[in-house]
Amino acid sequence: MTQSTIRLTVNGRIHDIDAAADTALLYVLRNDLELNGPKYGCGLGECGACAVLIDGVAARACVIPIEGCVGRDIVTLEGLGSRCNPDPVQQAFIAEQAAQCGYCLNGMIISTKALLNRTPHPSEADVIEALRFNLCRCGAHIEIMRAAMRAAGHLVGAANR
Amino acid sequence: MTDPDAPMDVLPGSLSVVRPAGSGANGGFETFIKITADGSVTAFNGHVDLGTGIRTALGQIVAEELDVSFARVVVVLGDTSVVPDQGATIASETIQITAVPLRNAAAQARHFLVAQAAQRLELAVEDLFIEDGLIRGRDNRSVSYGELISGETIRIDLKDDVPVKAVSAYGIVGQSVPRTDLPAKATGELVYVHDVRVPSMLHGRVVRPPYAGVDAGAFVGTSLIAVDKASVRDIPGLVAVVRIGDFIGVVAEREENAVKAAAQLKVSWKPTPTLPDLKDIETALRANPSTPRTLIDKGNVDAAIAAAAKPMPRTYIWPYQMHGSIGPSCAVADYREGAVRVWSGTQNPHILRADLALLLQRPEREIDVIRLEAAGCYGRNCADDVTADAVLLSRAVGRPVRVQLTREQEHAWEPKGTAQLMEVNGGLNADGSVAGYDFATRYPSNGAPTLALLLTGAVAPVPAVFEMGDRTAIPPYDYDAIRVVAHDMPPIVRASWFRGVSAPPNTFAHESYIDELATEAGVDPIEYRLRYLKDERAVDLVNAVAERAGWTPRPVRKEPAAEGDIVRGRGFAYALYVHSKFPGYGAAWSAWIADVAVNKTTGDVSVTRVVAGQDSGLMINPDGVRHQIHGNVIQSTSRALMEEVSFDRHAVTAREWGAYPIIKFPDVPRIDVLMLPRQDQPPLGVGESASVPSAAAIANAIFDATGVRFRELPFTPERILAGLRGAQGVAPAPMPLAPPQPPASTDRWKNPFAGRRGAVATAAALCVAVVGVASAVLPWRSIAPIARPDASTWSAATIARGQQLAALGDCAVCHTVANGAINAGGRAIETPFGIIYATNITPDVETGIGAWSYPAFERAMREGIHRDGRHLYPAFPYTHFAKTSDADLQALYAFLMAQPAVRAETPANTLAFPFNLRPLMAGWNALFHQSGAFQPDASQSATWNRGAYLVEGLGHCGACHSPRNALGAEKASAHLAGGFAEGWEAPPLTSLSHAPIPWSEDELYAYLRTGESRLHGVAAGPMAPVVKALAALPDQDIRAMAVYLTSFNDAAMDEPARHALGARLEKSTGARVVSASPVGARLYEGACAVCHAVGGAPLFGSRPSLALNSNLHSAVPDNLIQVILHGIAAPVSSDLGYMPAFKDSMNDAQIAELVTYLRRQFAPGKPVWTGVRAAVHLARHRISR
Repeated sequence: MTQSTIRLTVNGRIHDIDAAADTALLYVLRNDLELNGPKYGCGLGECGACAVLIDGVAARACVIPIEGCVGRDIVTLEGLGSRCNPDPVQQAFIAEQAAQCGYCLNGMIISTKALLNRTPHPSEADVIEALRFNLCRCGAHIEIMRAAMRAAGHLVGAANR
Repeated sequence: MTDPDAPMDVLPGSLSVVRPAGSGANGGFETFIKITADGSVTAFNGHVDLGTGIRTALGQIVAEELDVSFARVVVVLGDTSVVPDQGATIASETIQITAVPLRNAAAQARHFLVAQAAQRLELAVEDLFIEDGLIRGRDNRSVSYGELISGETIRIDLKDDVPVKAVSAYGIVGQSVPRTDLPAKATGELVYVHDVRVPSMLHGRVVRPPYAGVDAGAFVGTSLIAVDKASVRDIPGLVAVVRIGDFIGVVAEREENAVKAAAQLKVSWKPTPTLPDLKDIETALRANPSTPRTLIDKGNVDAAIAAAAKPMPRTYIWPYQMHGSIGPSCAVADYREGAVRVWSGTQNPHILRADLALLLQRPEREIDVIRLEAAGCYGRNCADDVTADAVLLSRAVGRPVRVQLTREQEHAWEPKGTAQLMEVNGGLNADGSVAGYDFATRYPSNGAPTLALLLTGAVAPVPAVFEMGDRTAIPPYDYDAIRVVAHDMPPIVRASWFRGVSAPPNTFAHESYIDELATEAGVDPIEYRLRYLKDERAVDLVNAVAERAGWTPRPVRKEPAAEGDIVRGRGFAYALYVHSKFPGYGAAWSAWIADVAVNKTTGDVSVTRVVAGQDSGLMINPDGVRHQIHGNVIQSTSRALMEEVSFDRHAVTAREWGAYPIIKFPDVPRIDVLMLPRQDQPPLGVGESASVPSAAAIANAIFDATGVRFRELPFTPERILAGLRGAQGVAPAPMPLAPPQPPASTDRWKNPFAGRRGAVATAAALCVAVVGVASAVLPWRSIAPIARPDASTWSAATIARGQQLAALGDCAVCHTVANGAINAGGRAIETPFGIIYATNITPDVETGIGAWSYPAFERAMREGIHRDGRHLYPAFPYTHFAKTSDADLQALYAFLMAQPAVRAETPANTLAFPFNLRPLMAGWNALFHQSGAFQPDASQSATWNRGAYLVEGLGHCGACHSPRNALGAEKASAHLAGGFAEGWEAPPLTSLSHAPIPWSEDELYAYLRTGESRLHGVAAGPMAPVVKALAALPDQDIRAMAVYLTSFNDAAMDEPARHALGARLEKSTGARVVSASPVGARLYEGACAVCHAVGGAPLFGSRPSLALNSNLHSAVPDNLIQVILHGIAAPVSSDLGYMPAFKDSMNDAQIAELVTYLRRQFAPGKPVWTGVRAAVHLARHRISR
């Protein structure tokens, strides 16, 4: 593959990436930008561990080449917030202790964030559907559901302030 | 490097509690607790946190015994250079066993410091109290731990008998404490082993042998024939291809290039031996050699059973299952002479270190295993394997290497949770009591040696026999006559411990069997158990759970009232998980009451609610215990309902989540956790117990609902349906048969030599005859070369117009090789007659068309004649291009000549005789080619005529979309009636279209403009670059093409009606068709539904609706197969999103199941496709583009 520089906007910052155009976004985020949030899980878009937001919509970074991301706004788990200043969704997941090993947590938080971006007041059924294709093997589903519901309420509160 | 003080001596003083290290530790000592002069506390434990939260619980224990705040304690786990060797983190031992010395160490440190303080403050020990490391007494006298330690280095030897705090004095242990790791995990700040980056690190991938998931037998380590290193020569930044025995790895500077190299590397292997048929586990396990080991033999079992009033022999079967870590294993290794460091997600750092020492032939002291968190493993996954892989690759290249296993590798090679066979012979006495219980269990599993040891030949591939089939093999019931035998046996496929080890299968048998006994005796199943349960804590738990769930005694099963197709039931099971070497230790007691809903029409089982009761003794962190119970309930429900590893006769075939589904959010039961307050009792392991009763509780509930007893997992819809039909004495209902399929399109390009010899010979003869005539009349001659015209010859407007025309004609699509220079040729075009290579049409004088005059160009475009007089093959669609106007041809010529010249020789065609004889093409032309320019139809609109000109001329749609005759000419009689190109069906553009909703002008316009029609699908395969190229054309030209093509269709339906039909089709195909392939249904749900389910959560890209997709409604499955195999890597626009290729994750049989399912589910009115598997095989082995 002919190599050329590809310009990506990640977490509000512009990066010029020297990688083949068909390189999966996930590898560039993890290796070039040293972001740990998105994780490799299946490489087929099945499990959701690699999720990021692209233009505010959930995306599976393992199946999207960087050439498809040019001119788009990419946000990773790190872009939402930090330990000192977490996003309300992250805060809700911490408050509900919504992980065991935590490997799927990135995808759960990103999918919840994407849901709230498009549906600020989701029902429980909306949350289940939004997380349906995010796999968790530890069985933290109950806590994750609670966290996502809490995040929904939390964001409602924030919007009302 | 065994001295933990060495790297930490920056602070002036410290207090450590230590013990002498074991062998291999070079005379050093192991530290448990270290307190530094600043008052901070570090606790060291040899176990690791597998995601269960033991880091937090251990911190609580230390804080409690030391009387410091929880926040002051840092827990270090699993780094072999600093933590004590405490064996593998298995069997729920951490809290019960491994935490004991840590607790003692903390208590010892407290006693020491208090004694020091008493001296310093001149007060009696009894008069002192401690608040967060500050020791205080009367008169405001106080001194802190840090002040006591000051600049001194104090070491205390760990003792076994240390007075520890009374539970009644606990302030931290027993309180729920938030997990310390979650804030970092929720923000991407935690460094998992996957996230380790060290300077100058390279990326490795391994290539595994074809005997996937099999690790014993003489072929292991000896099957590799050859590795063709030249096959990856073109990979950028490739550093090495490493081969040792059957171990193969590639190393590259960048990860994606290591991925490409691993995929592209050509490797030849010896044939893989045949496995026992693992679809029949019972036979396979009975045939596996074994050694009986009697665990208990009480009373005269044989006589008791012989005297039983009702003998009840039963067999229970547990399938192979996967640990299924969400993150495939990963490791980093840095091999240097005398100092090897690895970063690993291992369960057992010290054991792994010994393995690495053996593999590298280096002493253990030279190796440092640094354990980082990884994805939850629930037992032995590939964490150790990948660490050894990384070490081998790092040693080969002399730099640090990170190795990430693929999903397919983790699925195929992780040591499986083994299948297990349980047989019970027993029965009832006349009074309903248990006559006797003769239990035998077969557990073909061991410790799964680290793979690199086997692949490289460092360890012989002879399967060891482990005695681990005995976990909870003795039932908890006090039967008078009981015998339990574990038939110890080697593995059949690679297998090792998985959460609960052999206890969940054994308990499935015990707890199903006692339910069967109770049913036969006509006694409530809980009451029946209580007659034989003597353990008081167990009795308390069973009663508490029954009360919590509102259990109503059910001595006789009552047929539940059906709600439509649904019947509901409730089941109970109880277990004490007994772990570690027999007779082992009991972990927490667990009891389940499960509620299920069974759909009698579909066979779907839903676990709607679980009341999970547990007696865990002292709960260090009650919230942590609750979460562990949740996790166990959910994971074990998943195992019972849907989990089963599939094999063919050579290897594991489940290589992604569609073939091995795990539970998803909609299927998670409501869980009511009941934790018995036993804070005065010793703490027990809680990491596995709640998994153990699961399968039996669910099976018992299904029996309650349906009256049918299921003795084999998983409870899949097909197993339930088969059971229900069997129980009702009804033969399986025949699947409604679809009407017979019409023969596949005869218009498909076929190799004319395969079966149509006569016709071809005739036609060829005809060509030869015609060529004789034609050559006489029209002697083709060479047109003299010219000097390459200067681009300034033409106006910018002309060149721009030519650019549009080149886009319309898709010149670059055929004349450009993948990733090559535009229009420089070389692309192989597969035809039924052989391979034709597209030529170089850049203006290079020697290898391209730089020396072509316009007349030469025009003659090629209109007549198919090369400048030098040779005939061109009609793979070059001059039959269409001939219709182009002079002005357009001139503009196209101008554009091509104005482009950069690229020197590139075109490879020679590889055509079979007689098609390699170019002069024959003269005859072909005489038969099939009309060279007249486009003639408008006066009866049609100007737009229609414009469309016709574009479609029939440069657009050359018919080249793919019209069927061809035996000589490869488009059939005039079936214009645009559908054809084939490059393994893809080019669907009919006429009223013969297979689309479930007729094409309209607007949908055609949308499709040609954007690459997607909401009512038909997206452009893929060879059509994607066509639509992409059309972007150069103005909207009105696309509209004209749509108008023209629509005129071939019946366009009676209006727009609202089309969309209403679409919605109806989507709704009617939304519910699962019972008769469709269950395997295919699971593959769809795991692999496809995320992007294709109607109404699913939006994801980046489009969401093509399968119910409306023309390809699912076609007469042939080719396009569906192609897109599943190869995905869509280059869509018309990135807005449409991308589809991954599944060719490396699914085998032919799986794709055939999936395709068959999709057809049945989403095109239910259409006949089933036949020959799907062969079509998949063919498509997989075509020349890949």
